[in-house]
Amino acid sequence: MTNSSAMPARSTLGSLSKSLEIRMLLLAAVIAVALSLLSPYFLTRSNIFNILDQSVVIGIVAVGMTFVILTGGIDLSVGSVAGLTGILLGLALQHVALPVAIGLAIVAGAGIGLLSGILVAYFGLAAFVVTLGVMAIGRSLAYIFSGQTAISNFPSDMSSIVYTSVFGVPSNVLFLVVLYLVAWAYLSFTKGGRTIYAVGSNKEAARAAGLNVLFYAVLPYVVSGALAAVAITFSISQLLSIDPLAGQGMELDAIAAVVIGGASLFGGRGSMIGTLIGVLIMVMIRNGLNLMGVSPFWQGSAIGTIIIVALLVERLVSARVGR
Amino acid sequence: MNAPGAEQAAPLLLATGVSKMFDRTRALNAAGFELRAGEVHGLLGANGAGKSTLSKVISGHVVPDSGEVLYRGLPLRFRSTRDALAVGIAIVMQETSLVPDLTVLENIFLPLLGKPGRLSFPALRRRGGELLASLGHEGIVPLEAEVRGLSAAQKQLVEIAKALGLGAKLIIFDEPTASLSPSEVERLFDIMGRLREDGCGLVFVSHRLEEVFAVTDRVTILREGRTVLASRETASLSQAELIRHMVGQELGAIYAGGLGGTERREGRVALEVEALEAPPLVRNVSFSVRRGEILGLGGLVGAGRSEAVEAVFGLRPRRGGRIRIDGRDIDIRKPGDSIRAGIGFVAEDRRSQNIVPDMSVKENLLLAHLGAHRGFGRGYAAREAAVERLLQKLGLPADRLLDANMLNFSGGMQQKIIIARWLLLEPKILILDEPTKGVDIGTRSSIYGMLREVAEKGVAVVIVSSDFEELLGVSDRVVVISDGLSVADLPSALLDEEKLTLLAAPRTSMAKNTELLRDLADQSGGAGFWALIEKDRLICLNAFVATGAADPGFATGDAKPISDTRIPGALARRESIFVSEPDGKRATVLVPLRSPRGHDMGWVGLTLPDGAALPSAEAIKDRVQALSGAL
Repeated sequence: MTNSSAMPARSTLGSLSKSLEIRMLLLAAVIAVALSLLSPYFLTRSNIFNILDQSVVIGIVAVGMTFVILTGGIDLSVGSVAGLTGILLGLALQHVALPVAIGLAIVAGAGIGLLSGILVAYFGLAAFVVTLGVMAIGRSLAYIFSGQTAISNFPSDMSSIVYTSVFGVPSNVLFLVVLYLVAWAYLSFTKGGRTIYAVGSNKEAARAAGLNVLFYAVLPYVVSGALAAVAITFSISQLLSIDPLAGQGMELDAIAAVVIGGASLFGGRGSMIGTLIGVLIMVMIRNGLNLMGVSPFWQGSAIGTIIIVALLVERLVSARVGR
Repeated sequence: MNAPGAEQAAPLLLATGVSKMFDRTRALNAAGFELRAGEVHGLLGANGAGKSTLSKVISGHVVPDSGEVLYRGLPLRFRSTRDALAVGIAIVMQETSLVPDLTVLENIFLPLLGKPGRLSFPALRRRGGELLASLGHEGIVPLEAEVRGLSAAQKQLVEIAKALGLGAKLIIFDEPTASLSPSEVERLFDIMGRLREDGCGLVFVSHRLEEVFAVTDRVTILREGRTVLASRETASLSQAELIRHMVGQELGAIYAGGLGGTERREGRVALEVEALEAPPLVRNVSFSVRRGEILGLGGLVGAGRSEAVEAVFGLRPRRGGRIRIDGRDIDIRKPGDSIRAGIGFVAEDRRSQNIVPDMSVKENLLLAHLGAHRGFGRGYAAREAAVERLLQKLGLPADRLLDANMLNFSGGMQQKIIIARWLLLEPKILILDEPTKGVDIGTRSSIYGMLREVAEKGVAVVIVSSDFEELLGVSDRVVVISDGLSVADLPSALLDEEKLTLLAAPRTSMAKNTELLRDLADQSGGAGFWALIEKDRLICLNAFVATGAADPGFATGDAKPISDTRIPGALARRESIFVSEPDGKRATVLVPLRSPRGHDMGWVGLTLPDGAALPSAEAIKDRVQALSGAL
């Protein structure tokens, strides 16, 4: 107790420089400054709202992805699950009311996640392979159910999901913020959240300590599937249209965001704050490149390079700071 | 290359003033070490003393910050372990560096696979066979077998063959016996003896002092990165001196209060395991433990001890048997069930079964709480006070521990935290599998003290250990498990390491003995038995009764006072002639059994009923001695 007044100053400073989230936040700031120098529009109020708006869909998917990656797994199926559940939402809307249709889409997403989760956690199959299979099946069903065409008969009042403003904040951005707060609190302060970390870090030790390893190894896939459906709902609300290709490539963006946010693909390490920063970095770069008029064909190269360089720098820095 | 005389004079390896810092930790502080060709040199020290770091400096895994290492008189500066291998220095570590998917042959010659050019597999196979033969293991380890399927001892053998394949002249054995059974250890020591004869210099790093005395010629002791005892003849040292140098202070009895061996009959039975069956290793195991008692489960590695306690705790499926806690039957299907019933369990492998590396020490401490906790939240706050109290009692510095990474602490400290994880739940029964594996001797004694204190508060403690000295030192009673069967249940006061070794021997190795007893009993129409006799008590290791009238009054696994048997007179006299009991009903001859190494292995007896024709006592003596030669 007596030395507790002396200790924190050093340890807080130490843990700050050691904290990956802080370093990534600095990186995000550097990118923001660089882009604002390159494009005068970057830091305008309307563009900031643009960035937040563009973060919503990928940000929602990244939450589920964080849960899965924390257990040491991966979910490659989120993009095609989003596409499939979006098509299902459109089809359901021809028979039932909007809230029911949304509910059905989310239940379908959760159901697909449950299937993947059971195959991975109970039968011990590799997450990469299982979700790769589900990815192929999901995309194929999206084509079949949609009749290979876009569905665009969504009611125009559906856009109120996105564009209702609450205290000047668009509802979709507000939803994202609340979602991250809830996910952060769940992972940090609940039995389930801590179990997810423990399972990812050392499954055997978690089992020996009496934790319900099976349940909490399946749950992340259910969350991921359900959130893929939620994400596509927001996307549809903006476009008022869905085609069977929707969500393609979404899994890679989500995984990239989670990894940039400091999560370990081996599980046990990562956080919602880190993921949020990762999402913002991804979206900012894409937005900035658009503002500068960089061809979309070059954007993939630019984003890929920045991700790899960021991780490389992070690895070199963390090796120096020491874990 | 040097003349033999020069080899004697110049040491094979001479390290002086070696220092190494890791982060802010000083692992080595001007340490020195000298190794001669043709010796086994023990390198000792408590955990964190710098043994491993020094070994790794010698083997080229770690580059020292300062200091000089001379090998055959030339300074060593390795850029990689490949350089070290090239000059003939190899290290055999606890976790072997073998590739599990490759065959034995491929692993032995793995370093060659990295060289350009074609390899002749027939030539390699011949050379591999020669290497194993030189270790006395040709044909025992098939060259074509995948390493994945080998036992720990076999993997080690492959590792040694690999070192020899490179022409290694200096081999470091880093805790090589940690996962070997006593007979495998013996075989390893044989191999080390051969290598010493061949002029290799061997470094032997171990926590087990009795092994140090058994195999080393000289010892060097490190403490806090310094050499505190340099190259002393092992024979000139006592165990107490070794310990004093290692921990830097006089230790009293390592085993808390010397309380081990007290039989406790007063406490209520807390845990009762009956006819436990968990295939393939656990076939029929029964034991019970009282409140306040420390029960040891002894046996060889692979006898099914760990598997038995894991089945009790619910980590392993159980096919049969009953588990009762406080007299009530409990159906344990998963760890959660046993935790709620009041069992705590420290699993055998600290790194893979206990530590969650990405969580802070505090969360690791609270992990079992999390498992037992019902509710949505974590419930950490309710345990705050208890955590604080526990840390204080264990002498763990709270401010430093709470946020730190578990892996930065010594094995002993990690083990204390894992034990504390369970104490936090205030269990009725605490089961510990190898609680001091890889823990230095100073911390070991504080763990023993901790367990004794826990037991004194009324907790029933069960300890599984391969270290017989520890088992006898710390437990009140020992249940011996052999080949998946519980074969004996005895107060530790009645036992010593030799007897425990006999009891733990695989039942198959008793076949010859059983055959002899059966022959003796059948041929003369009596009862043959093999027993240990200590003062006025007897432990029966094996018995075969052909004629009911000759029944000596005890059966295999029994331990009772001599006066409670039917042949007290003969057992008291212990002579190799037929001694008749005062009641005239039985006559018994007893022949001492000695191992080839001269160890007392108890007595073989033949009891005949009144009126039977007495065979020649000399003939029986000859047969028993013939048997002892085969043991």
